[in-house]
Amino acid sequence: MGAQNDKELLARVSARDLQAFERLYRSFQPRLVRFLTNILQRPQLVEEVIDDTMMVVWQSADKFRGSSKPSTWIFSIAYRKALKARARWPDPLPDDETDMQVSTDPEPDEQLQHQRLRDALREAMTHLSPEHRAVVDLTYFHGMGYREIADIVDCPVDTVKTRMFHARRRLKQALAGNFADWL
Amino acid sequence: MPESLSASGAHDEAEELLPWYATGQLDAAERVRVEAHLSSCADCRRQLTSERRLIQEFRDLAPEVDAGWDRLRRRIEPQRPGRYRPRLRGRAWNVVRHPAITALAAAQVGFLVLTGGLLLSLSRPDYHALGSTPASSSADVIVIFRADATEEDVRATLRAANASIVGGPTEADAYLLQIPRQQRKQGLARLRADDEVQMAEPIDEASR
Repeated sequence: MGAQNDKELLARVSARDLQAFERLYRSFQPRLVRFLTNILQRPQLVEEVIDDTMMVVWQSADKFRGSSKPSTWIFSIAYRKALKARARWPDPLPDDETDMQVSTDPEPDEQLQHQRLRDALREAMTHLSPEHRAVVDLTYFHGMGYREIADIVDCPVDTVKTRMFHARRRLKQALAGNFADWL
Repeated sequence: MPESLSASGAHDEAEELLPWYATGQLDAAERVRVEAHLSSCADCRRQLTSERRLIQEFRDLAPEVDAGWDRLRRRIEPQRPGRYRPRLRGRAWNVVRHPAITALAAAQVGFLVLTGGLLLSLSRPDYHALGSTPASSSADVIVIFRADATEEDVRATLRAANASIVGGPTEADAYLLQIPRQQRKQGLARLRADDEVQMAEPIDEASR
């Protein structure tokens, strides 16, 4: 869904159009789940922050000025809410996410290696700060440019680049031992 | 950072911008500078390959959107008397539709053209390598899934073939896949034998 569609939906949301809000929610919820899970690493907190974020969108859509993309505005709300939620729950839980993939592939070594890689990557992410995880996720998964990310996390663009640079180095260092060939 | 960036030259700038080059998020001037540097820096080309692999690993997610929406609707509905009619919708094609993958596909094609490895003619099914050696992260196989293949079907097919999507959908709804070299022949055979696959063809010379 493009930014123009999102803008039209936001305009309808500001007029209390619940169906437009559902469309907006369904468009953003998967992305916010992903983004917030990376920052917060607690499923229950993720739900809470998504709900709070989208409630702000529902209640404040008329305040959206249109100077940025709707996605920038919504992600920036989510980011602020996530950092606040994190302040209330400062200690991250151990990563208990498990890959439920059942392999039917006759080459278990390859599958196993892939799963181990993903586990290692997930584990490496937990050692980054929430601020670094946010930049990594917005870049790699959400496909955002560094200027948009700077707007979302409210910091200079050079800080975004620096965070990304250090995060990449940390991730690659974490994978270098067992996955040097992959890198 | 700007001071050190300008002082440390093209390599440092390119290295810093690689993630956004890989996802197609640089402006034209930055892209030109990064590509100029990539053409002469093997280290940055290796890093670009790593970036693309990291992006591939980061793409997966399984949002539970319906449960989440029901929860939020229950918070809203008391505020608003009932004209609401819930809509049903199928599960989104998150893997191939999200912006990073779309941008990655565009960036991938750009880089392949840059390196002279492949001229991607997206309207025809048989690909030919026209130039020098393609980039190591380039696509190995082009595939078109049947129109009625579900996301689960596609995932299962890709896993069975040990293939990753590195580009697409093209205008012809084809996807560019990467399969580890040692499994390529077998992976291609699996794709061709799969009911969900309409067409699967190798791209580079090595797999022909």
